[in-house]
Amino acid sequence: MDWECCWSKDEITPEGCPYIGDGEEDLYTSHRRRVVEKCVECPRFKNDLARLKSTGHPLAEVLPYILTEFQEQKAQMGAMLSFLNSKTREIKFLREVGLVLQTSLDLDEVLSVAMTAITAGKGFGMNRAFLLMTDKERRNIRGYLGVGPKNYEEAWHTWEDLSRSNFTLKELAKNFQKTKLTSEKVKFHDILSLLTVPLSDQGHIFNRALRSKKPILVENALNNPDLDRGLARILGVDTFLVMPLISRNRRIGVIIADNCITHKPITLQDMQSLETFAFPVAFALERASLYERLQEEVAKQKSANLKLREQQELIVKMEKMALVGKITSSIAHSIRNPLMVIGGFARTLLKGTAEDDERHGYLESIVRETRQLEEVLSEVLDYSESLFPVMDLWDLNKLLSSAIDELGTTLEESGVVCRQELANELPMVRIDYKQISYCVKTIISTALAAMERGGELKVETELDGDGVLVRISDSGTALTRQAQEALTAPFYLTQEMGGGVGLSLCKTILERQGSSLSIMNRPGGGNTYSLRLSTRKEAI
Amino acid sequence: MTQLLVVDDEANIRLLYAQELSDEGYQVVTAGSALEAVEKLQSNAFDLVVLDIKLKNESGIELLQRIVKERHNLPVILCTAFSCYKDDFSAWLADGYVVKSSDMQELKDEIKRVLAKRQKAQTAG
Repeated sequence: MDWECCWSKDEITPEGCPYIGDGEEDLYTSHRRRVVEKCVECPRFKNDLARLKSTGHPLAEVLPYILTEFQEQKAQMGAMLSFLNSKTREIKFLREVGLVLQTSLDLDEVLSVAMTAITAGKGFGMNRAFLLMTDKERRNIRGYLGVGPKNYEEAWHTWEDLSRSNFTLKELAKNFQKTKLTSEKVKFHDILSLLTVPLSDQGHIFNRALRSKKPILVENALNNPDLDRGLARILGVDTFLVMPLISRNRRIGVIIADNCITHKPITLQDMQSLETFAFPVAFALERASLYERLQEEVAKQKSANLKLREQQELIVKMEKMALVGKITSSIAHSIRNPLMVIGGFARTLLKGTAEDDERHGYLESIVRETRQLEEVLSEVLDYSESLFPVMDLWDLNKLLSSAIDELGTTLEESGVVCRQELANELPMVRIDYKQISYCVKTIISTALAAMERGGELKVETELDGDGVLVRISDSGTALTRQAQEALTAPFYLTQEMGGGVGLSLCKTILERQGSSLSIMNRPGGGNTYSLRLSTRKEAI
Repeated sequence: MTQLLVVDDEANIRLLYAQELSDEGYQVVTAGSALEAVEKLQSNAFDLVVLDIKLKNESGIELLQRIVKERHNLPVILCTAFSCYKDDFSAWLADGYVVKSSDMQELKDEIKRVLAKRQKAQTAG
């Protein structure tokens, strides 16, 4: 008989069967496989069977039974294979996620993997997920991170991008951590900020899920009188899953997942898979946050150690300073007293010696040289004191008034009138009283030197940001730029001790106290000395 | 006649003070220790005390505190080898401060100033 289908032929040409496609060319020559794979489903074969039946062949009655049974078995095999494939994929996915979760100590990495796994199509395929974590004080559960599209447009955009790319879950998570972690937090800030719930609120669904250690599926939330509608309103969906995160009986947080875009129902299987997944996530989150806290503690410890070392160094330095203080004080006494006796008696003798007496000149030399030595001593002592300022809060106006008072006689003798324009209600300044008092007196003395024929000395204060500005002006001869520079040049460079180091030392003292000294010519003649003293505590 | 008590543990310096201040017209009594000073304070009516802040084995500051407490009207001028006296706030109780110098003009001026101030206060009071 001439059959329509090719089942009776050992070998065929491509025209022999239209159902053999590209890549299946080996079926042209493989008779057995061609019959099992193609002919049993071929309409031509069915026609051939009908023709066989019409010939009354006894096999034609039983053959369809065998054929149907074979086809059913084949379909079942196919379904099982596809199930097996999907399970293999799921295991592979869980393994991949598990590996990161088990090994990572980086909180951001754990978060990225967990949230990507929940929302990625390759993972659990939920549209959106929120992570809420228990705060450090263990008082509240707070919204921490949201992941997913905000609207349809963004959803299609993102999903289209993802379908084109062929990233593994791990790559997706890494990408998310790198480019989206921060922006997603910002994107969902409004929702996250509304999700804070006290751990003591027993009736709240988050706490109920944590207590029962079981996920809760909320459906039709807006019409369910037993449920908190507020949460549904915040999320903008009426079906969502609340998944508790618990590690070793510790309440780590909650994950909320929903399908806000597709509104695909959340199945029991989704819930079960997510529940299995929640354990390693909770554990990894706890571990990572503990590690983060440990890092913080280590950093604190490190900075405490550093501070301790600095303090120790300071103590050593202070001991050295105290020693320097003792030495200077001892030098001061053991040199100053003999100098005073030598010079003092020389002066007494000088008074009783006639000018033509040859001893008069000798005595004058003793007086002069002693005076010189005393000046050197004062300067050395002033300098050594200037090295160690004692900073405290002082009223600058009072300091200025008392310095002017002290110099009252000198002012009077020089024929100089002092005008004080001190601002009211100035804040206290942080200074070493003695040193600044010394500076002020030295500046006034320098100003007086410029007013040999008398004049006016003006002392002003004014508030200047977080400091106080002091201006001391004379009405004397204006200093040239060179003279100004020479006055304030570092004394160890240009001058010898005993040669008058006043302003140079002032400048050094002020700079060491975080201040500065400037000299300017005053419009209309004279000079203005300005210094600015800070109210803030500064490291010296 | 204005009577001054000068307290310093160095005999030569006491001698110098005595000579120079007598020349200024003051009657000068000297003491070489805090104990001697206290004794002399009890038996004389002084107008002013010139006190070295650093006495051998004693503190001039303590003596100052005692004078201020017991004779609050008696002015005191502190003499010091260098200006560290302001470290001790109780030194601020003194009426005047002078850094020791072979040129005693500063001390003489300071004595005049303090006495005049005291005089003025008493006249006003």
